[in-house]
Formats: sequence, C-alpha cells, structure tokens
Amino acid sequence: MKRLSVGLIVGLIVGMLALSVGASTLKIGICKIVEHPALDAVEQGTIDALTAAGYERDVDVEYLLASAQGDFAVAISIAQNFLAQGVDLVVAIATPTAQAALEVFRGSGIPIIYAAVTDPVGAELILSAIDPSGNENVTGVSDMIPVAAHLRLLKDLSPDITRIGMIYNPGEANSVTLTNMAIAAAPGLGLTIVTATADTTANVQMAAQSLIGRVDAMYVTTDNTVVSAIDSVLAASLEAGVPFLMADPTSIAHATLAAGFNYYDHGLTTGALVSQVLGGTSPNEIPMALQERAEVYLNLDLAASIGLEFSQAVIDQATSILYGGTAFNK
Amino acid sequence: MVSILVHAAEQGLAYGIAALGVFLTYRVLKFPDLTVDGSFVTGAAVASLLLIRTGIDPFSVLLIAFAAGAGAGLVTGLLNTKLGITNLLAGVLTMIMLYSINLRIMGRPNLSLLRASTATRIVSAAWSPLGSLAVLAFMLVLTLIIKFGLDYFLRTELGFALRATGDSERMITAQGVNVNTMKLLGLALSNGLVALSGALVAQYSGFADVGMGIGTIVTGLAAVIIGGTLIRSNRVGWMTSSVLVGSMIYRAAVSLALRYGYVIGFEASDLKLITSLLVIVALVVPYLRERRSKKVLACSH
Repeated sequence: MKRLSVGLIVGLIVGMLALSVGASTLKIGICKIVEHPALDAVEQGTIDALTAAGYERDVDVEYLLASAQGDFAVAISIAQNFLAQGVDLVVAIATPTAQAALEVFRGSGIPIIYAAVTDPVGAELILSAIDPSGNENVTGVSDMIPVAAHLRLLKDLSPDITRIGMIYNPGEANSVTLTNMAIAAAPGLGLTIVTATADTTANVQMAAQSLIGRVDAMYVTTDNTVVSAIDSVLAASLEAGVPFLMADPTSIAHATLAAGFNYYDHGLTTGALVSQVLGGTSPNEIPMALQERAEVYLNLDLAASIGLEFSQAVIDQATSILYGGTAFNK
Repeated sequence: MVSILVHAAEQGLAYGIAALGVFLTYRVLKFPDLTVDGSFVTGAAVASLLLIRTGIDPFSVLLIAFAAGAGAGLVTGLLNTKLGITNLLAGVLTMIMLYSINLRIMGRPNLSLLRASTATRIVSAAWSPLGSLAVLAFMLVLTLIIKFGLDYFLRTELGFALRATGDSERMITAQGVNVNTMKLLGLALSNGLVALSGALVAQYSGFADVGMGIGTIVTGLAAVIIGGTLIRSNRVGWMTSSVLVGSMIYRAAVSLALRYGYVIGFEASDLKLITSLLVIVALVVPYLRERRSKKVLACSH
C-alpha cells in the first residue's frame, strides 16, 4: 500500500513535469472574469477571427482558456499561470482580468489585448485612448456604449417618454461610468434618469419593480449582474407597460428593443487586433479600438403586448425585427 | 511548475493573514464573524485611496488599513454586545453596511493601482538579487512577523483571557474578566488582520475592487480547517502555522487546477469543482492513514 502511494506520487510528479515542457507552437492565453453569454461570445469571436486569419487551432496556435468565475484571486492566479506557461500573447476579457494581467505581465514585453472593457483609461490599462505610444505592450477594444444615442432612441419612441429608469450594479465600474454618462447626457435631451441599484442578481427583481410607476421607459447597459437577471427587468417593464431598452442585441428576445453591438462581433474585432499584433505590429502603435457598427433590434411581439407601435423612423433604423417569434433581418 | 508553487505560496501567505483573522474569531473566540467579506475590501479600499491620493508609503498604509478593519470589527462587536444582536447577524449587518461604505471610500467600484508605487513593486526592486523570489520573501517576512506577534499575544494574560472567553464565557466571567470587552478586542484584532490582508492583496493584484472580498469567510475557513486537519495540535504556535499552511495549500489547489485541469478533460468552467476535489484529496490522505493505523492497533491483539 505504501509502495503504491509512493509510486502514485512519483508518477504524478513525473507526469506534471513532463506536461510542464510545452510544445513550441504559438500560445495564446484567453481569460475572462466570469462565464457570461456576452463574454463567452467575445472569446468565441476572437478564436474564430484568428482561425479565419490563418491561425488554425491546435495546429498553428494553442489556446489556453480560463475563467476566473467571479473570483479576483483566481484572476491573478490565471495571469500567473499564463506567465509560467510562457504564453506569447494574452487576451483579457473584462476589466478585472485585464488589470490582473497587466500587473502580472509587467515588464515582460508580452502583448496584452483587452476586450469588453468600457473604460480602459479609467482602469489605468492605457494612458491615453487616442495616443497609444505610451501604452507599452497593451492595446485592445473598448465596448463603450454610445449612451446618448440610446437615450435618443428611447425618446424617438414616443413624446411621452421623459423619465428613463436605469437598473445597474454600483459595484461594476463599467456600469457606473455608463450610468453617469447617461445622467450627464439626459438633461440635454429633455430626459431625466431614475436609478435603481442591485448589487447581486438576486436583487435585480426588486430594483426593477421599484421603478414601476415612476418611469416611462427602462434602460439597462452592459451590466453583468443585471443582464444575468434580465427576465426580471423584462417582467417589471411589462407590468409597468413601458418599453425596455437593452444595450445588448443578443438579448432581443428578452427586451422590447435592443441597441448596441453584437459581442461576437466585438470578439471578431479583438481577434483582428490580435492578428495584427502577431503579424508584427507593436501594441503601442495601435490606438484603442472602439466597437463600431451599432445595431438596433426591435421586438414587435413584446412591443405589441404593451401597446407600443414603433414609428417608421425607428423601424428604418432597425437591423433586425423580431415578429411572431421569428427574426427578420435587413 | 516551481513558479506555480511560488505564486501559490505568495497568495497563500497574503490571504493567510486574513485566514489568521478568521482563525481568531472562528476558532479562538468561537464567534462566527461574517464581517470579513466587508472588512477585507475596507482594507483594500483605504490602502488604494491612500496610495493614489497621498504620498504615504505602502507599508504604513498597511497599518492604517489594519486600523480601519479594527473599526469595522468594533462595529460588529458593539452591535452584538451593546444591542444584543446575535453574532452571525451582527457580522452580516456590518458586512452589508461596509459594501456601501467601501464604495464611498473608493469613490468608484474599481481603483487601479497599476501606476501606483505598491509594496510589492518596491520590494521587487529593492530585493532584485532574489529575482522572482523577492515578493515571496517579503510575504514570508511580513506573515511571520504577524504570526509570531499573534502567537506572543495569545500567550499573554490578555490573550489567555481571550482564548478562555471562547471556551467558556461563564467560567471567565467568574474569573472577573469582562466578556464583552474580550469580544470587542477579538473582533477588532481579527478584522484588523483581515483588512491588512486586503490592503496587501490589493497591492499585490494591482487593483482594488469592491467585489474582491466576496468569499473571504469561505477561503478563510477553508484555510483554517485544511490546516487544522493536517496539523493537529492545541499549541498556539502550531495552530497559527497550520492556518498559513492551509491557506497555501488551498491556493496551490486552485493553481494546480488551473494548470492541469484541462489535461483530465475538464473545461475552464470546472475550476471550482477541481479545486474542491484537490482539497478533498489533500484532506483524505491523512484521514485514511489515521484510520488505517487505528485498524492496525485494533487488530494487533
């Protein structure tokens, strides 16, 4: 028995040492802070874009995929792991993972590409959004939302809409930035913002319900917490009989209308950036990319259930319309 | 492989200080204190704010964070001793309050220390001959200072009174010790340590985030229990060492799960499952060994 356990331990150590000797293909570490449809889509988009650029998975490039599962200590461990395994490039999805990667890879010269970070300058990932020369080995794509444009879209729905309810998690830096932007932009459009906070997914329902009767429309940005409980917000908006705008078009089935960009596309943009860096361009020559191609998706079924009819002007803006359960794309 | 263990040890020691705090309330004082999820961030928040806004050096910042955490502990203590709120609830209430307070301190949910002069950065530069082991050496020195300080305290008259309070409040009251004062002292000291750990971890990670304290009680207890299972002793010195060892083992389990989990066909989302399995293995081996030796004793007559 003792010989067996000794043998097992020796075998385990030898096995682990053997595995430590990595192959010499290109290694890219992709990490995200939590599992989430949007972040997962970014990851998939990045890989697909690289495959399309000629980097075939497991042939030209080995991907190390990791999720911190909401644990910040794990985010650090993941970055340290990538460093230990000698990755050639890191793709960090979301702010905390990007910050962890930057801290761990400091001075290593290995390129770090961030994605799905709303405010990279505020998070001190980069010094300047416009001039990349001081950013060392970091560049990436920001998912900054054109908040003012979204508010304008809501205003276009009906002249009766003046109070916009926003549910967000004050613990998410991205949400706080976007909500503050909305509050700043609203008066210029003749709108007021009414906020309701939810620090966990369990509290989203209560926050949404607190807005019933106090707002003419509901608006949710790319807040991980609230998006995870999106149906609670939808239910509250239906009960209140008000339209609900989601800043994530992939969730159109769960909202009256959605505007923004597809996170899979965001991933494709990220992958293109990675391909550029792998091709020899230094990250400090590439300024922060903003996700272009904002799209508007309309859900006619849910709109009908609250008695809302979209004007022709709004329908003309739409990229896709959900009607009778089927999506009609332009 | 070696660097995985070095990093696990670094994190294990940094979080180990928080585990010592949890040990103090949970094991010594027998007061299950949930404040720690909040006070951990309080330490990180105070430290980050001071590092960014003022010129206070990163090491003094640790002491100030300790004081902030002690304050948080006192709040829980007062809720329990003066207002009669039960211990678990008092801790939860303070933790919830701290969420808002921490946001106020930081001004935003996430404060970056990537451009600040943190303790780990200073140490890496100052002890550069040690190379990648500099930070580990620093963590070791700091943790040992705290550990031996705690051991010394627990062997003083006051420390004994604290330990006795945890064992039997009636007995210690009969000896003339004020139980409430002991609870306040224990909670203040414990949360002070947790906050210090938070300040250290924020500097180590390069940022402070209002969500970084979630799970502190769980990982703290994991460290205490893992350590306590592997090193069984009633002596203070061994108990505190076991907590630090337990913390390092837990972090090593996470790192190993990250590194080798995919080999067994696991996906990135299975991380927490693999971590727990590794911890179970770490606990089961000595347990089985003990059971086998008991069986041998039983059979040998």
